[in-house]
Amino acid sequence: MAGIELRNISKVYGNAVLAVDDVSLEIKDGEFMIFLGPSGCGKSTTLRMIGGLESISKGDLLIGGKRMNDVDPADRDIAIVFQNYALYPHMTVAGNLGFGLKLRGFDRAEIDRRIRAISDMLGIQPLLDRKPGQLSGGQRQRVALGRALVREPKAFLLDEPLSNLDAKLRAAMRTELIKLHHKVGTTIVHVTHDQIEAMTMGQRICIMKDGRIVQVGAPLEVYRNPVNTFVAGFLASPPMNLVAGRLEGEGQGTLKAVVGAASLPIPDAFRAAYAARSGSEVIVGLRPEDFHQSPMGDRSSPASVVVVAVELLGPEVILVAELGGTGGPEIMARMPRDFMARPGAMLQLHYDLTQMHLFDAASGTALSRPQLA
Amino acid sequence: MSGIKASAADRRDARFGYVLAAPSLTVLFLIILFPVLSALYTSLHEYTLIAPNFDIFTGFDNFRLALADAEFRHSAWLTIRFVIGVVLLEFVIGFGIALMLNKVERFKPIYYAILLCPLLMNPVIVGLIWRMFLHPNLGIVNYLLSTVGLGPVNWLGDTKIAIWTVIMVDIWHQVSFMIVLLLAGLASLPKEPYEAARVDGANAFQCFIHITLPMMRTVIIVTLLIRLIFAVKTYDLIYIMTRGGPGVATDLVSYFIYRTAFVGLNIGEASAMSIILLTAILGLTAYLYRYMRSIR
Ligand SMILES: Nc1ncnc2c1ncn2[C@@H]1O[C@H](COP(=O)(O)OP(=O)(O)O)[C@@H](O)[C@H]1O
Ligand SMILES: [Mg+2]
Repeated sequence: MAGIELRNISKVYGNAVLAVDDVSLEIKDGEFMIFLGPSGCGKSTTLRMIGGLESISKGDLLIGGKRMNDVDPADRDIAIVFQNYALYPHMTVAGNLGFGLKLRGFDRAEIDRRIRAISDMLGIQPLLDRKPGQLSGGQRQRVALGRALVREPKAFLLDEPLSNLDAKLRAAMRTELIKLHHKVGTTIVHVTHDQIEAMTMGQRICIMKDGRIVQVGAPLEVYRNPVNTFVAGFLASPPMNLVAGRLEGEGQGTLKAVVGAASLPIPDAFRAAYAARSGSEVIVGLRPEDFHQSPMGDRSSPASVVVVAVELLGPEVILVAELGGTGGPEIMARMPRDFMARPGAMLQLHYDLTQMHLFDAASGTALSRPQLA
Repeated sequence: MSGIKASAADRRDARFGYVLAAPSLTVLFLIILFPVLSALYTSLHEYTLIAPNFDIFTGFDNFRLALADAEFRHSAWLTIRFVIGVVLLEFVIGFGIALMLNKVERFKPIYYAILLCPLLMNPVIVGLIWRMFLHPNLGIVNYLLSTVGLGPVNWLGDTKIAIWTVIMVDIWHQVSFMIVLLLAGLASLPKEPYEAARVDGANAFQCFIHITLPMMRTVIIVTLLIRLIFAVKTYDLIYIMTRGGPGVATDLVSYFIYRTAFVGLNIGEASAMSIILLTAILGLTAYLYRYMRSIR
């Protein structure tokens, strides 16, 4: 087992594409780290550099404290699970599991012992004599995991391992991966573009965009304190509503964020931090889950909305509405499952002010304020 | 399937389909099947050119004669060795070059174009060109050898060398076929198993043995079979370059059949030999067809 450290790592592909730009990150020994970001942001490239499948253009990679830039993938003692599994199509499941061990000169008995142990653990014992072509997606996924596990490596690198599975299987495999991490305790780097996977699985999330790291932190920390509008709009589904507004007034009770016809007072706790910005354009971030039907004491402020649409999801209802009145900015709010409203109706909701976020209108970075626990 | 009858419209469509296909089927029958059947008929008769319509049915006599003919057996055996030699050498050379080209990124189309040149040439032209190149006194090959103090080699006149010369020219002509097919196969291989193998600790040679060869199996077998079928029929090169000579050193079976029929005027026996050759080729083709069907 080992921690992984990336020091100012960059990757330029042959066609002068800067895929990863000066990324520094420390992944602790035994940590479950998630790389999250939209497609093309450089997650796979970063992972492949850690794994040794891509050369590192600049910077240093340390695994277990040792510089690994020029070490062959086979000698890094890591295992990779690929998005499309990359099983050896002509070998049986047992052959797939044992190939790496065979190449490393393990003796037959030890290989058999490990294959048996891993296939028991993953429930693929009955499949050992089948070829990958005869397996379902979920079974292939397990075999690919098994192939990584039998080698007992220092770290696992998983590149979107669940994205080819259907929704139900994906949810099941999510849980299994978490359990697996508890059991083996090995460092795991898991790449995904699925924010649900990121929120539920990782101990820490590293959010990337355009080859750079935007924010690193525990899932809830990142959820509660997004550093900019990108993170705010990326995490959670539906994501935070981001609407253009203005910071107006000053002093107790008068500093407020004005969004169209609505105005949301700034809570006392943040007033000091925001006061200097009074009069400037901001982006106001309102989480859909922070709209409520009844007031929450002095934490909330009433906000009237005009119903545009109501989406019934079963466990909850997503209300799409115009904030402040007809023609106001469109927002989404999460409502309890028994919520009902007709399009065009005017409603009074209550917004939890302590959860409001303000971002600089030009750069999109969060205006600094006391962190919410 | 069983209980449901085709509707009137379906039957009409089917009839219309046959009508549409009829002209081409007729042409195919006339120019392909008819000669084959005619050869089969001839092979079972005593056939004389000056009395074409007075054939005497002789059963399998022609086949017995053919199989007992030492010269036929010689050319059949020579053909088997020639085919195996040519196909194996072309495979080894072709696979080697395909593996190298598979790694090339720049100028790939140019390499392709150069490689395809021989394949685009008519075998007769190839034979003529090489006969000139290999001329013992006037050919460029012997001239080049002489500049480094070698030769002269009697490429097509020496009984020991002639067959190898033909093999060499055939390789020059046909190896691109292997290269192109194998290259297409290599290019279509998924690259992820190679990455997995690198992480698993396989070196280049182990990757080739454990990943490339098994994944290329079907492409390799199909390529070998197609090439085999074509090599069995080799005729033009022999006709142009050696006429089966010197002696019978390059007397491949296709050329020998031609000689039996049109030089020896032994039409019945030649037809029997053709039928034997056809059976061998049909066997290979049937195997190829079955194999290709068995690949999912
Ligand atoms: N082999 C490659 N050659 C050139 N550019 C590449 C290569 N692989 C990825 N890229 C580019 O690098 C960027 C990052 O890609 P990638 O790491 O695959 O993103 P992600 O995994 O986050 O979707 C993209 O712009 C992509 O087009
Ligand atoms: Mg990717």
